[in-house]
Amino acid sequence: MKIAVCIKRVADSETRVKIAADGKSLDEAGVKFILNPYDEFAVEEALQRKEKAGSGEVVVIACGAAAAQETIRTALAMGADRGVLLETASVPADGLSVARALAAELTDGGFDLILFGKMAIDDYNHQVGPMTAELLGMPCVTCVAHLDIADGKGAAEREVEGGMEEVEFPLPAVLTVDKGLNEPRYPALKGIMAAKKKPLDVKPAALGASGLEVLALTPPPERKEGRIVGEGVAAVPELLNLLRLEAKVL
Amino acid sequence: MSHVLAVLEQREGALRKVSQEVVTGARRLADAMSGEVHALICAAGAVSGTDVAGRCGADKVITATHAGFAQYAPEGYTRAVAERARSGYGAVLFAASAQGKDLAPRVAAQLGVALAADVTDLAVEGGAVIVTRPVFAGKALLKVKVTATPAVVSLRPNVFTPVERPKAGAVETVTVSGDAGRVVVKGIKAAAGGALDVAEAPIVISGGRGLKEPANFKLLEELARAFGGKAAVGASRAVVDAGWRPHGDQVGQTGKTVSPSLYIAVGISGAIQHLAGMRTAKVIVAINKDKDAPIFKVADYGVVGDLFEIVPALTEAVGKLQS
Amino acid sequence: MSFVPSQFQPPLPVDRLILKEGVEGAGDKMELDVLFVGAGPAGLAGAIELARLAKQDPSVGELNIGVLEKAEALGEHSLSGAVVNPRALRELFPEMKDADFPFRGPVAKEAVYLLTAGGQVRLPTPPTMQNHGNYVASLCEIVRWLGAQAEALGVNVFTGFPAAALLTDGDRVTGVRTAATGLGRDGQPLSSYMAPNDLTAKVTALSEGTRGVLTQAWLEWQRVGSENPQIFALGVKEIWETKRPLDRIIHTLGWPLPTDAFGGSFCYPLEPNLVALGIVVGLDYGDAGLDIHVLLQRLKNHPLFRPYLEGGEMVEWGAKTIPEGGYYALPARRSGDGVVVLGDAAGLVDVPSLKGIHYAMQSGIYAARAIFQGLKSGDTSASRLAEYDRLLNASYVVHDLHRTRNMRLAFKSGFYAGGIKASLMTLTGGRFPGGRIAMHADADAPRRSNAVEPFTPDGKLTFSKVDAVFKAGNSTRDTIPSHLVVGQDVSPEVARFYTHLCPAGVYEEVDGKLRVNAPNCVDCKATDVLGPRWTPREGGSGPKYKRM
Repeated sequence: MKIAVCIKRVADSETRVKIAADGKSLDEAGVKFILNPYDEFAVEEALQRKEKAGSGEVVVIACGAAAAQETIRTALAMGADRGVLLETASVPADGLSVARALAAELTDGGFDLILFGKMAIDDYNHQVGPMTAELLGMPCVTCVAHLDIADGKGAAEREVEGGMEEVEFPLPAVLTVDKGLNEPRYPALKGIMAAKKKPLDVKPAALGASGLEVLALTPPPERKEGRIVGEGVAAVPELLNLLRLEAKVL
Repeated sequence: MSHVLAVLEQREGALRKVSQEVVTGARRLADAMSGEVHALICAAGAVSGTDVAGRCGADKVITATHAGFAQYAPEGYTRAVAERARSGYGAVLFAASAQGKDLAPRVAAQLGVALAADVTDLAVEGGAVIVTRPVFAGKALLKVKVTATPAVVSLRPNVFTPVERPKAGAVETVTVSGDAGRVVVKGIKAAAGGALDVAEAPIVISGGRGLKEPANFKLLEELARAFGGKAAVGASRAVVDAGWRPHGDQVGQTGKTVSPSLYIAVGISGAIQHLAGMRTAKVIVAINKDKDAPIFKVADYGVVGDLFEIVPALTEAVGKLQS
Repeated sequence: MSFVPSQFQPPLPVDRLILKEGVEGAGDKMELDVLFVGAGPAGLAGAIELARLAKQDPSVGELNIGVLEKAEALGEHSLSGAVVNPRALRELFPEMKDADFPFRGPVAKEAVYLLTAGGQVRLPTPPTMQNHGNYVASLCEIVRWLGAQAEALGVNVFTGFPAAALLTDGDRVTGVRTAATGLGRDGQPLSSYMAPNDLTAKVTALSEGTRGVLTQAWLEWQRVGSENPQIFALGVKEIWETKRPLDRIIHTLGWPLPTDAFGGSFCYPLEPNLVALGIVVGLDYGDAGLDIHVLLQRLKNHPLFRPYLEGGEMVEWGAKTIPEGGYYALPARRSGDGVVVLGDAAGLVDVPSLKGIHYAMQSGIYAARAIFQGLKSGDTSASRLAEYDRLLNASYVVHDLHRTRNMRLAFKSGFYAGGIKASLMTLTGGRFPGGRIAMHADADAPRRSNAVEPFTPDGKLTFSKVDAVFKAGNSTRDTIPSHLVVGQDVSPEVARFYTHLCPAGVYEEVDGKLRVNAPNCVDCKATDVLGPRWTPREGGSGPKYKRM
């Protein structure tokens, strides 16, 4: 099994978001960066598939700043075999640019599986995986929460409104994975030691033009001051009216 | 003048409700572009309920049929939508639903243009589509100008309230030829057991220490039932730590982050770590006996008083409303 | 009503903390040359110096140096004021300039005030507290920078791995066993379980920081005493983004502390509009209802601070103890067979000047030199590693502590009498009053239970403990087994004492019983000093400090 996992370095979701002076980006002072949590599921799935197959290679690929080498090392410490950083000063807002850079690296790679997290917890773009698949002309299933692979064919389940969609697909394929697919391992001490010696190529990202121009990053509007509808049981009818007619949630 | 393509969804041959929102958003763009809204739906045959698209502002409703389109067919749908989009549209709109999140990026990639995903606001300024989308778990809003044509955009569900804007809604059917694709959806397995996860439920009712003892959570379960299977019962960290409720029900920083359309906090004081898990709810209701509780600062609607009286009264009133 | 905390304190669980090497229960095993336990300024400075020595003198071959850290990422458990003396950094990096160090800026102006409830009196800055030539810094940032320097030199830094026990062979320390990961609340393994690792080394350097648990165990096991017991203070600190700039470092004495408590506050600008504000109180205070977190909340309402903070935002909160015993509380030896003790773990803090970071780093540098000599000669026994003690004793580190040897101890008799004695000591270079002021351990100081004035936070300027823990970035898994060892028969009175003592809301008195919310713990170690014992838990637990 030869598997590629595309990962991203992201600001921790617990991060308090402060807007940078340019008014368009995150102020990175005091921000912790981590491996995108959905990508952890992808790395774990790749490692388990390789272990099950008994042989193969897991390659992690990130598109991002030089500091994303740290993120790649985390995946290498979990057990991936080698890493590639497609370096760019900043990750563009346009997911297709990133998909192009990844596709250029992945094409001719001879991968049986190309895995992504279903989305990144910073931009919520939810798109680079399926875009990459289209550029590569490969079958793709997104948001995979359950996966069986046998005889060059796969069966996946993905969550949709009100149920789980059951999907069949041929290999090689691109999959984006959801939480619940597995339980990502912690890097072991030996893994951390070994990660330092694993190959990590750094090359410039072939991003191309961006079709999105960021105008502004702003804090969300303050929740408008709520109000006390009333006291005790007497307030219930009024509450219900407000929920129906003003808030329109019932 | 540019037309806008609205990509609708069906399930089992019936139009999905979220599609009305897409037509509504498309109408808004088309008016600004002085163009028409063409609604496209992929299906195996006729789709019921498409007349609503005309009522929401579609000038034309196109059904793209293929024998393999009864279920979602990612590759076949992509080809059908991309082909239509190539015939000259200023914008292509999707719902950021489970299907739209899968389909929109594929179509954008086929068209070689960017996708502005999961947007909560949409406008045209100086001829360009400008969108707003939440990023960093809703802690910031990103305003983006779409410089590529067509502008491919997916709309966050439950944000674009359907508006009646009756248009002709002329009907057209096209037959899609070729293969439906390598990725085949076999069907949809219904969610098990009815018990909704707090992270997914459209209504969440959470209880805290104010409930005094574990058995009293039955009050919240009864209220949840009154909402007819749309509500889940959550809990604060304090009661989970005390072992009253399972950890999977915990809402907050170390539990689950939820953004239901309605969140009802019962007997929860509102520590920051709890607020961190539910502050993106659309509407927050707090029921607490302490009028100074921090939860009232974030709640849209607060009721001060004894939850043991208020919750049963609410359950009864909701039950009447639903029936 | 009064009580003595030590009567309710369980003993240190030494049998769990000192293990024979080879005892079953470990997963992976790893052999290193030298292992530093704790990636703070002491451990990282030691690792850097050692790696450099090995590069300069290849006769010992390539050294395999490891640093274990319990925090998920570097610096996340590090907290200090901090105004830093650059001396040790200069010695460690002679090729660099001060501007290369991760400081926020030089101390430009400074002021010391005596506070009353509604006002303040500016005091002349005592000689020990003059900070000209020192730098304002965040210890988190210093640690991250040092960690990067160490890794660039080939040091293996393992974050997220707490050392849970010393591995021993006879009297020799041979390494450590790390804490297991992935246990359920009942102590049973979950699917994410990872067994402990055994790391063995020729020398284990305990750079655990304040109230280090393995250090305590080693001192007890090897019966290494000190003239006075170690005593501690608890510091609670917040970082604020302010609307109004601050151009000086501020120290205060007096209000809101009662006169029988020793301590004060500090306020340092990391940037003109980014301010670190904290309060430090000795844990020998008499009032069982004293709550240091609440004191900091009250302090923010004082007219000296309120105008700076109002309209700003509290962005981070943290707490940590500080060893305050000084010279007479230093362990009789800080080295043994296969082991050395560094920095705060050894109590290398000078209270009158409020300094410890450069002493910690300096101790790491000396330890590295002694260890390197030991490795060269193939002998890392107690007598060989005693070279570390000799270097330290002959250095400015111990000299500085000796000069102020009785100053903190004088405050045992209260704030004003203490202040007068301390002035005399400064004038006489530490010779007054002659001899040693004897001290008992903090847990042996009796406490009175008085009525406690309630405090209601406003959520804007002042915060509850639950909110504070959130601001510490604590997202400890809620279902880990409790790592706190509570004594038997804790009375409601003592339970209330723990409630006030713990700044993170770990302890609550509910219907006369003690409730322990263990995941709230931010590893400050305050109750380890006065009550329930702290033991290592799953890696990555606890706070995630960013700019503390």
